[in-house]
Amino acid sequence: MDRRVVVTGMGMVTPLGVGREALWPALLRGETGVREVEGFSTAHLASHLGAEVRAFEPRDFVSLKNLRKMDRLSAMVTACARMALDDAGIRITEANRDRVGIMMGTAFGNTELKVNSARILFSEGPNRVNPIHVPNTVMNAPAGHASIETGIRGVNTTVNHLAVSAETALVYGAMEIRRGAADVVLAGGADILSTFFYEALTRFRALSPTDGGMEGAKPFDCARNGPVMGEGCGILCLEAEDPARERGAAPYAGVTGWGLGSSPAPPTGWPEDPRGFILAVERSLAMAGVAPGEIGCIQAAGNGGRNPDALEARAYEKIFGCGGARPLITSIKGATGEIFAAGGIRAAVLALCLREGVVPPTAGLTTPLCPLPFVTGEPRQRQVTHGLLSGVSFGGAYACLVMQRG
Amino acid sequence: MPHRDDQRVVVTGLGTVNAIAGNPGEFAEALRRGRCGIGPISLFDTSRFRTRNGAQIGHFDPRSAIPGHIPLKRMSRADRMALAAAFQALTQAGLCPVPEALRDETGVVIGGGAGGLLEAESFFQDYLERGGRGARFSRLAPVSCASTANHLTRVFRLAGPKATIMTACSSGATAIGLGRDLIRSGAARAIIAGGTESLCRMTFASFNALKAVDPAYCRPFSGNRAGLSLGEAAGILILESLPQALRRGAVILGEVLGYGVTCDSHHMTAPDTGAAGAVRSMRTALADAGLDAADVDTINAHGTGTEANDLMETRAIREVFGARAGRIPVSSTKSMHGHTLGAAGALEAVVSLLAITEGFIPPTIHCETRDPECDLDYVTEGARRAAPHVVLSNSFAFGGNNTTVIFGRYRPEGVRRG
Repeated sequence: MDRRVVVTGMGMVTPLGVGREALWPALLRGETGVREVEGFSTAHLASHLGAEVRAFEPRDFVSLKNLRKMDRLSAMVTACARMALDDAGIRITEANRDRVGIMMGTAFGNTELKVNSARILFSEGPNRVNPIHVPNTVMNAPAGHASIETGIRGVNTTVNHLAVSAETALVYGAMEIRRGAADVVLAGGADILSTFFYEALTRFRALSPTDGGMEGAKPFDCARNGPVMGEGCGILCLEAEDPARERGAAPYAGVTGWGLGSSPAPPTGWPEDPRGFILAVERSLAMAGVAPGEIGCIQAAGNGGRNPDALEARAYEKIFGCGGARPLITSIKGATGEIFAAGGIRAAVLALCLREGVVPPTAGLTTPLCPLPFVTGEPRQRQVTHGLLSGVSFGGAYACLVMQRG
Repeated sequence: MPHRDDQRVVVTGLGTVNAIAGNPGEFAEALRRGRCGIGPISLFDTSRFRTRNGAQIGHFDPRSAIPGHIPLKRMSRADRMALAAAFQALTQAGLCPVPEALRDETGVVIGGGAGGLLEAESFFQDYLERGGRGARFSRLAPVSCASTANHLTRVFRLAGPKATIMTACSSGATAIGLGRDLIRSGAARAIIAGGTESLCRMTFASFNALKAVDPAYCRPFSGNRAGLSLGEAAGILILESLPQALRRGAVILGEVLGYGVTCDSHHMTAPDTGAAGAVRSMRTALADAGLDAADVDTINAHGTGTEANDLMETRAIREVFGARAGRIPVSSTKSMHGHTLGAAGALEAVVSLLAITEGFIPPTIHCETRDPECDLDYVTEGARRAAPHVVLSNSFAFGGNNTTVIFGRYRPEGVRRG
């Protein structure tokens, strides 16, 4: 069948605000959502910064009846699903609901719920576990809640693959539309900051400052010393192009290629060479039918981690060379922190770059680790026809997408 | 219309460890004999739980399939089970080791459930008793479901696509579907696809809290049913594009003909009594396979043994298959190997392919009394000799997720119809 896939709507809840109306101007101004964590005490830990979602009122988007059954993660996902459908101008009816699906990514789900279940189980005994809390402990709960709230009954899957969960969900969603298994797929991802998980990551020495220096989110910067943890949700409304245009939709962008790849790495560590990532980029370019020189901008995965940012930059040097018209590179993670299943937000930002002809700067980046064209300080105007979304995860998993303007 | 050969995805290897067998050969024999793997759980102390029984793997020896030079440190029980099954499956496929030339085009898609929660529980106990300073956070490393796929790509040195699906009880089935799509779309030429799940206290406590566990053993479709039995297993399939399998001269065990994924959009844990989601997942899979309901020879039911599922699924099968529904053999092999949650769809894919290659229809055991509302042919008298060409396998999950996968006997000209 091989239908073209387009982005017709987007919904997001981020540390820089709710919806693209809040996020996009804040990114262009170079703002950051990284501050001292307020949701819980970090006094006993080595890290204190986080990018928390502060101004989110789920009742603006979700019915109270359903909201009562949801945890915070599900509420974010459901709100973004509603936002994306509204933004696309799609009303769910008896006639279309079986052809509308959802593909969600989450790296860790709601870890707080899991720890609370463990607390009850091990301190009070198995008979005190409350059945009401069970449904939300499964990773696919957010997609289930979102489908109940919106009434959609098509394909429904949750991808749970670390920091490429959302990018992989986007790929799967696009695949399903392309082959005709769905007309519309709400695709993206969400992860939330929780006391337990924040502590786990600091004890793993996975968060800035891993070197004991100044704490901060500094993607691709020489002074980077680990990511800052963030939270949020982003969902795109992916749609088959022909029916979308027939109903008068004006797509943000097309999704024209994607590629997945792996390389051998310890399950929570990084591979030594970027080959698997390069393969994933090359696969997505080949599918989109574009040469490396045609990529105008990259929404990079760089989060301020020492090894992953270097690995990613090395791959770009290899793929795009050292001279000529190379793609502008930007990362949102200086502004939003590392959200793990951040691909939905990042894909929305890339689609906006293509539509608006401007690439936002990378907050926190002042001295790039290598002479690639990173966007720093001010936004850069550039009419971009093809853009790349890079998904890179510890454990050696890669998921990339190519988007095309219009 | 049959698909072009390069769009056809075949199965060239199977692997499993589960409560009634340590490999596919033993599994076929155990299914034929109607062996029950449900009994007292010894993996953890069950004395404070409402129920005690489950389908535990009695003596799991990962080294029976995993060579000694591969370190098992930092792997969860679920990881080890999947790795053992993957070695079996790759060996059968003639891909152990995976030839260097195929590694870039070979990927992994795993359906997960609790991941390394069994191992994480001891961490949580420490953490809750002694606080963050006293607990060894490194023990959390394999807690994510993604750990399994990461280990598999590392051990077999693969650079193809990698993904982990987590849709509770339909994860394993959807993983096979995604694997099929990746090959069909040209993103890979072979995929190690399947699912893995180990028993653990937190899962056991959750299902007990929902009062969904039969204290003795599950009795799918039986009038005296009282819930499901949790189990643990890994099920792995080697999926390959037909041209590659033919080129390699691989023995083709069967074909993935189609699959369908739908959502109830009804309730988080209770299936839609109207069965609409299950009906649509079966119909979507049939349409995807280019088949009619009349082409299906036997059904591997989700058949958990809960009243809600068994009545709903029976109703759904009646609606999809109409007058023929009562004449199609419907087996719930969960009556033997338990409900293996994230692995269930993959384990039952192994069952479906063994039915095709070994020529039998597995029984539903423990069907002790008739339920007037469950009036299909559940194969309660024991396994039947048969030569099924088309097997339909259902997996339904919390969250309202439904997945149906259809497997076929391989024939060069396409599967036999009707």
